[in-house]
Amino acid sequence: MELEEFERDNSQSRLLSSPVPEICRTEDCCLGIDEAGRGPVLGPMVYGICYCPVARKKDLQDSKVADSKTLSEADRERLFEKLNGSSDYIGWALHILSPNVISTSMQQRAKYNLNALSHDTAIGLIQFALDAGVQLTEVFVDTVGPAEKYQEKLKKIFPELDVTVRPKADSLFPVVSAASICAKVARDRVVKDWKFVEDLGELDADYGSGYPNDPKTKEWLSRHLDPVFGYPQFVRFSWSTAQTILDNKATPVAWGDEDDDSAGGKSSTPSVLSFFSAPKDVSQPQSHRFFQERHLQPLLEF
Amino acid sequence: MVSRRKAPRSGQSEQWVLLAPESLSGDAKNLSDETVFVKLRAPFADKGAMFLFINSGQQICEVKAFHEEYRSWFIGQTVQQDGRLLIATPIDPLFLVLPYLIKADKEQGKFQPVEQIVVDEEFPSCGMLLQCTPVAKSLHHVTEEKEIGSKKFHKYSKEKALVWLKKKVDQTVKVLKSSKVCVGGGVQSATFIRSTQGSDVKEEDYTRYAHGLISEYLTEDLREDLSKYLGLPDLSSPTPEPPVKKRRVSDAPVEADEDYTKYNSDNKSRKSNSKMTAAQKSLAKVDKSGMKNISAFFSPKAKAAK
Amino acid sequence: MADSHAGSCVRVDHRSLSSAVSEPMHLLPCQIQKDGAANVKEYFNPAVRDREGGKEVSFRGRALKGQEVSVPSGYMGVVLKEDHKPCSEEEDRLFTVKSTFRSFTQWNLETPPSADDVLVMSLAWPKIAASIHAPVE
Repeated sequence: MELEEFERDNSQSRLLSSPVPEICRTEDCCLGIDEAGRGPVLGPMVYGICYCPVARKKDLQDSKVADSKTLSEADRERLFEKLNGSSDYIGWALHILSPNVISTSMQQRAKYNLNALSHDTAIGLIQFALDAGVQLTEVFVDTVGPAEKYQEKLKKIFPELDVTVRPKADSLFPVVSAASICAKVARDRVVKDWKFVEDLGELDADYGSGYPNDPKTKEWLSRHLDPVFGYPQFVRFSWSTAQTILDNKATPVAWGDEDDDSAGGKSSTPSVLSFFSAPKDVSQPQSHRFFQERHLQPLLEF
Repeated sequence: MVSRRKAPRSGQSEQWVLLAPESLSGDAKNLSDETVFVKLRAPFADKGAMFLFINSGQQICEVKAFHEEYRSWFIGQTVQQDGRLLIATPIDPLFLVLPYLIKADKEQGKFQPVEQIVVDEEFPSCGMLLQCTPVAKSLHHVTEEKEIGSKKFHKYSKEKALVWLKKKVDQTVKVLKSSKVCVGGGVQSATFIRSTQGSDVKEEDYTRYAHGLISEYLTEDLREDLSKYLGLPDLSSPTPEPPVKKRRVSDAPVEADEDYTKYNSDNKSRKSNSKMTAAQKSLAKVDKSGMKNISAFFSPKAKAAK
Repeated sequence: MADSHAGSCVRVDHRSLSSAVSEPMHLLPCQIQKDGAANVKEYFNPAVRDREGGKEVSFRGRALKGQEVSVPSGYMGVVLKEDHKPCSEEEDRLFTVKSTFRSFTQWNLETPPSADDVLVMSLAWPKIAASIHAPVE
């Protein structure tokens, strides 16, 4: 797993993959998709796919991959090495979504929610496998949202594939469990040794699991709040846990595109349009449109 | 403006980001020079505006602020809430002396030493204008001069002022063209500015635009006189163009069924401007932009407001 | 000029200009309601990326896109600071030149910067102003 590629600039997302086993180009293959790190307020979310020939499903099952949630970190590391060791018939790919991308996507003007981001990433990974020459026939997907709708969406995009979307698919289908292990191992490794984009010196890495209810995570968040910048990019600013601390303790920041009812609800900021319409001071002569268009005003006081 | 900021400071701003002519750095080398901001009467600001005097007033700058509500600065290792960018640009000081000359001519109508003319209780700093060498050198553009002994006497001349202002308009038109400023009659919104000039921009549009810019520095009377002198049609009661020559003023569909003959038959409807095109309306609005005539410019109301 | 200084005068200590240092400047697309220290070189500068189409960074979890904007030719950028408020109305205010700049980074919220940006257009003002205010022939 060449995580350095992501770590070189973790402010961007990155796709990593194993070589495609030769047999997967010629034989019908099944593919599993799962994610890791959807809930935490810290670190990336990792989407993983794992695939193998349909005929070798049994071999995969015999390698004792199981729902990664029931495994210890050490078990997952061991199993990942096993999967990697079976590169003659098992392939994988990972899409590491940078926490910075999660923050900026979820908070962008045209809101891009986590479900849409997840779906697009999963679709991208299926397409990646197809483009890499994997002869896909079956796809198994773990879901957190409504499974039927998601399945419909995927079937529409990939009509030639037999798509199965299920909650808890990682405990039902070994190929999904394998994908889950890949994703979790990648997330664990990246989070454990997070390369801060910022120049923060010797920053303590005692941030726990990253889940909002982990006391260690909570404590780390309150310890590392910067009044102006808030947090390093490692933190998902779009999480309410982070938002609440920022709203209460950091310097208020007002953006021009916030609606009154938007997250944070800092103030009833006038819209951009109202800012330009009525002259602010009726006693003040209105300036030529050259100045109005350029937002230039005479300096009246010093 | 300040009142709209969500966290108004209690006192005055303590830090400013400013663009100024490089001549400012000349001041640093010459210790006897002074660099000061003073408040002076200005046609574009009812209660006066700030001007920057560089090189002990040999160069006088007006100060504009690029001002957007949601802006702040990082300056080195600091944050500055006020995101304004001040731009100090050299102003022809004659513009600032002009209202005093006009007023003196209206009230006394005689030749006077300029020191007697440029006097202002409300803006005592106006006397600094006279220490500016370019002022003395350029007074002849807008006044008749008499020299008695070593003393010079001046009297405002509207005719000379208009000739001077037309030259200003001409040199501004030249730069507007080379700078590709969008001067077309198209409907302009503050948030949408066309980057390319429409093909239908006429010479008159440039002249009108330059006139509008220069009008910032003129009182209403002179502004209207200049408009007439330049031969600009009065857009506040627009003369309808024949339909065949109708200009497309924007990408928005032009009302195809506008009945121009109505204007000719009914003057009142023209005045009520119910049928003015949006462009005409906007131009009319710009040209009527709250400029005060000379008496209003020096009105006691403005004094009381201080 | 001493007589005209009463009250409304703001003096700039231009001697401070020669000793003023150049500091990096960023114009942000949001209002940060604070004046004072900020860990810009720890949090912000190292996160700026030069990508195709301009600079990128994020602030408070929002994507910013930026470009380096030069001070118009013939101009210089200065930051003026008032070190002490005058005690009375009569006293002149005194500003010193805290730092200088030749360019600054203009940041937009999510929108890539362009020559059509209002800020860029506003920097054409010195050129237009020069045409209005140049002495006539």
